[in-house]
Amino acid sequence: MTELLQNLIDGLGRGSIYALLALGVAVVFGVMHLLNFAHGEMITVAGYVAFWTIGTNDWSWWLVVPLIVLSAIATSLVIERIAFSRVRGASDFTLLLTSFGVHFVVSAIFLLYVSASVKTFPRPTWVANTYSVRSLNIEVFDTVVIGVTLVTLIATTLLLQRTMFGLSLRAAAADFDTARLMGVKSDSVIRGAFALSGLLAGIAGVFWLMRAGSTTPTAGIDPMLKGVLAALIGGLGSLRGAVIGGFALGLAEVLLRSRLPDSVASLTEGVVFLLIALLFIFRPQGLITVAHAERV
Amino acid sequence: MVERFRATAMFPLLAAVMLFGVFVLGGLTYQAIIGGGAAERLITIMLIDAIVVLGIQIYVGNTGVLSFGHIGFGAIAGYTFGILAIAPLEKEKRVPDAPFGLTDVHLSTWLAVVIAVGVTVIAAFVIGLGLARSGAESGAVAATVITLALLFVTHEVARNWPELTGGDRAGLSFRIGGNLDTRAPIYLMLFVAIVVATFFAKSRSGRLAVAAREDNLAARAMGINPLVQQMIALLISVAVVSVGASLRVYQDGSILPDDFFFNYTLLTIVMLVVGGRNSVTGAVLGVAVMTAGREFSRRLGQDDFEVFGIGLDGAPLDWIFRENLQTVFLGLSMLGFMLWRPKGILDDWELGDWMRRRFGPKNDVQPDLAESVTSDDDLVLVASDVDLFFGGFQALAGAGIEARGDEVVGIIGPNGAGKTTLVNVITGMAEQTSGRVVLGDTDLSTSEPFEIARAGLVRTFQNLRLFGALTVRENTEVSTLVAARHRTERAHPSVDQLVVAAGLWDHRDRRASELDYGNSRRLELARAAGMSPSFLLLDEPTSGMSDSESLEMVEQVRTMADLVGAGVVVIDHDLNFITGICDRIYCLDRGRVIAAGTPAEIQANPQVQAAYLGTG
Repeated sequence: MTELLQNLIDGLGRGSIYALLALGVAVVFGVMHLLNFAHGEMITVAGYVAFWTIGTNDWSWWLVVPLIVLSAIATSLVIERIAFSRVRGASDFTLLLTSFGVHFVVSAIFLLYVSASVKTFPRPTWVANTYSVRSLNIEVFDTVVIGVTLVTLIATTLLLQRTMFGLSLRAAAADFDTARLMGVKSDSVIRGAFALSGLLAGIAGVFWLMRAGSTTPTAGIDPMLKGVLAALIGGLGSLRGAVIGGFALGLAEVLLRSRLPDSVASLTEGVVFLLIALLFIFRPQGLITVAHAERV
Repeated sequence: MVERFRATAMFPLLAAVMLFGVFVLGGLTYQAIIGGGAAERLITIMLIDAIVVLGIQIYVGNTGVLSFGHIGFGAIAGYTFGILAIAPLEKEKRVPDAPFGLTDVHLSTWLAVVIAVGVTVIAAFVIGLGLARSGAESGAVAATVITLALLFVTHEVARNWPELTGGDRAGLSFRIGGNLDTRAPIYLMLFVAIVVATFFAKSRSGRLAVAAREDNLAARAMGINPLVQQMIALLISVAVVSVGASLRVYQDGSILPDDFFFNYTLLTIVMLVVGGRNSVTGAVLGVAVMTAGREFSRRLGQDDFEVFGIGLDGAPLDWIFRENLQTVFLGLSMLGFMLWRPKGILDDWELGDWMRRRFGPKNDVQPDLAESVTSDDDLVLVASDVDLFFGGFQALAGAGIEARGDEVVGIIGPNGAGKTTLVNVITGMAEQTSGRVVLGDTDLSTSEPFEIARAGLVRTFQNLRLFGALTVRENTEVSTLVAARHRTERAHPSVDQLVVAAGLWDHRDRRASELDYGNSRRLELARAAGMSPSFLLLDEPTSGMSDSESLEMVEQVRTMADLVGAGVVVIDHDLNFITGICDRIYCLDRGRVIAAGTPAEIQANPQVQAAYLGTG
């Protein structure tokens, strides 16, 4: 029982980060039907920001956190401007490969101008601290992550429910063509979606980097994969589903890691992928069903 | 026999030989000019890459689903081949405790390849089931993510199961690198790969897969089950990739997890999309172009290199920059082509097709229309008591129609009356809340669209869903291919006869996407008729047409229905058209039938006038 509760808390901490990433993926998917394989590049860029400020110049984390978030938003907007704005309305195939191309170009830039080697920066000292409640060992870090994620999710929900931008964004996600006919400005909605997606990735990136303490040119792949998979688990196009998918993925990873026999524990990732594949065989529309009837 | 060969197989075969010849000779020429072991190795690798890329093209090109997983399949094949073909003496060093006693197995190279292909194809079948289901529900994007996940799974397993794979460091290895002392097997398999890819695209399966690539829903409406065609494409494609991967491992003399991971995936996908993913010629061209570009960018990084005065000789660039020029080149190629030429250099241009158009027999004799097929007078289509709710909105409230196999039945009604929705229910594209659809003795209430089409109910679409990249003839041919297998009890007019009947003879070799509105509608009609259906269901065949065109359409629908012996159910707004063609008419309003009868009766009906004409 205690162990299960412990897993649950660990899983929520991990899942929080995934949920933020997945929500960002889902927001962009909603407005332009793009599954963004470059979603991790915000974190790649943020990683080098952390390296140049904290790693080489000893800046304090508190100063760098807003910088990281801002750099993620800026990266997201720049990528939209340079690449994605040119392929709006293109086929799925083109969209997917464009985002993949963006990933490779961004990592190539860091490969050329920095280097392929791992760049490290010190983690905040409190990351490893834990405190106990009864027999549970809770990481300070997980507590912060869960707290910040909840606040972010609530704020995002308010943004989506209460503001004109949120309404446009949800309308566009539901039916882009109609939304545009009804006077939703596609340009500003799409840019807004990328900014929001960058913001969410930035917050997730802060935690990701605090835990990792290092970055490489291809560091974006891992968070991208988690975000994309979580969005897919939740049911593509559903914002709520993306968040649920993120938590589900986090919990699944933690539970498997602690429950699998030692001989296969190193294969946890593989097993998670396998479970996802199975999920799709038995529930191909993901956890949350989004009605997207094709008009005939 | 000879005629048939000349018409179908000769030019593709000729093209395959030429493609193979030019590609190989080009490689050998480069090798001869540059000389040395490095150039030889470069060309060998290029030949093997071509096999892998052709394998990927078979799936990606014909189904339109982007796959990142084929290199994952390559890893499965490569490791299977390695563990079977490497001598036990060598395996003792790296994988002494391989499971299933594999350490002591030693098969001949060819047998190992065959088993590697078999194992990988079985894995592909299992993955394919998941791909098919998710693809059907969530679209091609979901399928792509699953293939990406597959790539990561194989990589994870390869890294973390050292007992079988030798893990991250050791890998599996033959005694010495570079086992192949002759390129003969590579040439052979490359030629086979070109032929397989060429003829798959020409095969029934290939054509139906391409139709589904162009418009999945329309393909299902023409009796195609895309999942089956995509599975066939996947299995053949994975088999070819497996051969390439095994050759690669044999040539390299070793395999490590990273050999078949992200970089190789990027390389092969870029090769495919740069050349043109929808074309076998394009795939081969892409391999040549990218190999050349990559080699150029690699050598550009070396100090002593210079071509036409271009070189970085003495430039103050550090080694990192030079070392990574290749990666940059690949990334920029992918992004650049996606932004500016997403369909690649050749798009779907095919050498064999070009040669046939240029030198082949011209079949431009306009055929006479065939004898009309007798329609099935006794066959009755009944849709009864159909209810359908969209959320809280009731689109259909007990609507129903009845039509005999020799009748033309019209459905009219104001906008939003539920006309199209009723046809959607009948053809399986909308799920009714309650109500039945019966054709003769067959209950089709819960059948899939493609089953309903095969049973004899074939529709056209109000918003035009043609197979855009295919020509007028090819669009029609798709449905005749399905009819030949699933509508065997009927006589079939030829593709050209259908094209003539639709009045499209002059446009027969134009792409559907280039047709104007009226001709697109006519092609929808011809394509539907190509299924030799018992009933044609036409959704607003004259929408957007002028009055004179509408009158022509009356004739074309009649000719077409006679030609294939089909009853007709037609939705339209145009009263002249409807009264001109229909034996009986149903009038729908707010999801229910408010009147039914002959055109004269309907025109006189006060309720119809109130609902439909807005008078009274």
